[in-house]
Amino acid sequence: MRFNQYLTKFFCCSLSAFLVLSICLIGCSLTGCGSDDEDDEDDVTTVSESEDEAFEAGPILGNYANAIILATYTDLDNKAGELLGAVQALGAATNQAHLELAQSAWKAARIPWEQSEAWLFGPVDTQGLDPALDSWPVNKVDLDGVLGSDQALTEASIDALEDTLKGFHTIEYLLFREGDQRKAEDISPRELEYLAATTENLKAKTAQLANAWAASGENYAGEVANAGTTSTIYKSQKDAMQEMVNGMIVIADEVANGKISDPFNEKDTTLVESQFSFNSIADFQDNIRGIQNVYMGKFTADGQGLNDFVNGKDAELDARFQTEVQTAIDTIGAIPDPFRDSITANRGAVQAAIDAVSTVQQTLENDILKLVLDSNFN
Amino acid sequence: MKNSEKLAFETMKSDQSSYVLFFIILLCISISACDSDNLTDPAKMDFSDKKFSGGETTVFDATSHAFSTPAPNLSEEGLAKHLDGDVEFEAVFVTVPAEVNPGLGPVYNNISCINCHARDGRGRAPTSGEKLTSMLFRVSLPNPGGDVTHGPVPVPGFGTQLNNRAIFGVPPEGTVTINYTEGELTTSDGVKVYLRTPSYEIKDAYQPLPDDVEISPRVAPVVFGLGLLEAIPESTILALADEDDQDGDGISGKANYVWDVQKNGLSLGRFGWKANQPTLIQQVASAYHDDIGITTSLLPIESSDGQSQYDGRGDDPELSDEILDVVTFYVQTLAVPARRNLNDPIVQRGEELFESAKCSGCHIPTLETGSLSGVPEVSNQTIQPFTDLLLHDMGPGLADYRPDFLASGSEWRTPPLWGIGLVKVVNGHTNFLHDGRARGLLEAILWHGGEAEQSREAVQGMSASDRDALIAFLESL
Repeated sequence: MRFNQYLTKFFCCSLSAFLVLSICLIGCSLTGCGSDDEDDEDDVTTVSESEDEAFEAGPILGNYANAIILATYTDLDNKAGELLGAVQALGAATNQAHLELAQSAWKAARIPWEQSEAWLFGPVDTQGLDPALDSWPVNKVDLDGVLGSDQALTEASIDALEDTLKGFHTIEYLLFREGDQRKAEDISPRELEYLAATTENLKAKTAQLANAWAASGENYAGEVANAGTTSTIYKSQKDAMQEMVNGMIVIADEVANGKISDPFNEKDTTLVESQFSFNSIADFQDNIRGIQNVYMGKFTADGQGLNDFVNGKDAELDARFQTEVQTAIDTIGAIPDPFRDSITANRGAVQAAIDAVSTVQQTLENDILKLVLDSNFN
Repeated sequence: MKNSEKLAFETMKSDQSSYVLFFIILLCISISACDSDNLTDPAKMDFSDKKFSGGETTVFDATSHAFSTPAPNLSEEGLAKHLDGDVEFEAVFVTVPAEVNPGLGPVYNNISCINCHARDGRGRAPTSGEKLTSMLFRVSLPNPGGDVTHGPVPVPGFGTQLNNRAIFGVPPEGTVTINYTEGELTTSDGVKVYLRTPSYEIKDAYQPLPDDVEISPRVAPVVFGLGLLEAIPESTILALADEDDQDGDGISGKANYVWDVQKNGLSLGRFGWKANQPTLIQQVASAYHDDIGITTSLLPIESSDGQSQYDGRGDDPELSDEILDVVTFYVQTLAVPARRNLNDPIVQRGEELFESAKCSGCHIPTLETGSLSGVPEVSNQTIQPFTDLLLHDMGPGLADYRPDFLASGSEWRTPPLWGIGLVKVVNGHTNFLHDGRARGLLEAILWHGGEAEQSREAVQGMSASDRDALIAFLESL
């Protein structure tokens, strides 16, 4: 990840200034001007802390953990349930209307998932849920093999398969194949069976993810909300705030320098995310909306967000960043659909989107992360 | 660090007149006593301070990204190469033919680098009912008194590693079931520590295995800081060796010499749980080959060659030299997370105990790197890896009874300890040792035997507050 490049550079500069200051202090005492501070870091610390009251980040972290992350995962789980219902309806009566409903349900479930990519840490990673839900590419050769076999297709048998044979993109491949031209009558009974089983597996994974964060479950939300107090993961509020900003930086970097740039630079449509459904632009926008949700502290209801912290320190930065995020969402939205064609046909629009997201990334790295690292927290 | 950083930054911002005035006055007073030009140059910073665990490659991050950030001293060109390697490290392989990332298997342990080394971090043993994801099993046949030049003797039909997964239509080589027997150990002040001993059984082997097969479990190790370890001069490592314990401290330290494919001869082993890989490029090529079933120019013959699963496609090497190069560079140039809480007196007490219990006899705190060709970022650094990269007899409790080149069945390479306190935030667990049997740092310490027997006894005999201090020290790494 590119972003932490900044951290040590910043530290070096800071350290250098600190050393200048320390040695000046030594010089000061040597030349007899009365200070006995010398180079003791703790003495300097006291000066610094008195200048800047510690910020209580508990409400922001609590809102982040519960009203953003857990709420998004709960929504994801609900949408996965609706997708499962739609896929089962398609299996029961295989017609174009049911296929389109299932396709819409897939896109609807994709929204909270893509938004949640603004925080790919914790159980989604440590429990292997990200790869199980969102592996790419699909192993088409093995998928054809399984479909052509007489292997039983159940939630459990799908679970035993590789992650490249399950999750969002396998479902996408079966529902859309190439764009939205899929005909219901082209879907084989065996594919319908596979769809039902793999969607059931997806639903099991989203339920596991929501449970991992819920207070009634494994309560990972508590680990984040209680950073610096009872958390066994985050020893300080600053660490958790840094985690929050890191997550936003990672997805901004991924969208700007990976998801959009890789197919754009290579002019290679095989590298496009959600290429079967032509849902790429919505995916990218939802990634940035995830950043927006975290920053504003708002998924459904508006709560304490990172903006409340930034605004208190630097109102101008807060206003600028809010505009940059919205601009990035709008600029991505201005790329003509489908994205796979625009990487060659509308290169100006794609480049504008890359630039807009890069701006978000740079502000996060250069200004907002700095503000977090530069502040004292309770 | 945070407060000095904060103050310094505010000073640099120069938007608070009191600081500026203060600064200028001090500067004037001390101008004759210090050369401020030298002090503004990062090259003159004291990166030997022990909080800079990776010298100039150190990053200050105690979040889930602590192991997965590029070294901050990478040049723009180096960073671009590192990020290319990052993409390849995350690339998921699928069955040939495919437009993207073909070549998986036919038999393998996992489908990408990152799936084992999640967040460039540490793997663990599966919990009950879980699939084997970040742990694998090496296998071999006994070789009493035989030639060890080429390492362990392959098992016909299996090679030297059990591939428990396979592409569709091809049988995996087998699976392993893990059982634990609970035991306990009591400290001198009466605290019971529970220790679980694993046992392994290969099941569903696609063809019969010989009765005398040797099995060695290996969890995926962290992959940051490896370029620094590669840059440690061979002479430094050999100077730490004391194979016959001539200094009589009960600690020997033995160099492994292993097959070096590029050199076509033997080289000092540095990487892997038994120091059985000489270079990072070979480590990476071996992981592609043995774990994912991907051939490279270094190891161009499929791991399944000669077995019924072999595809015979003649498409080797499946991975380009360019990708092998950028992935090698990626693991050479991941940042090392800085130490934390160095001013905490409990941490300081723990560090003293780490030395007095002679843990530091093998877990050498500070080393200097030499020059690593093509990777100036890791060259000539003062680092705090807490390893000597040598083999030590760890006693029968930890033995796998599977020799690996010169490493005996009870010898293991001292693993680096840097970042060990961040495994929980990065990987969500605290399972340690080569097979993940230890469920926390204290259990890991108390499994130490053999050359570390006296150290274990020292820890066992500590007061509760001293043991806690020792753990606090380890958690600061």
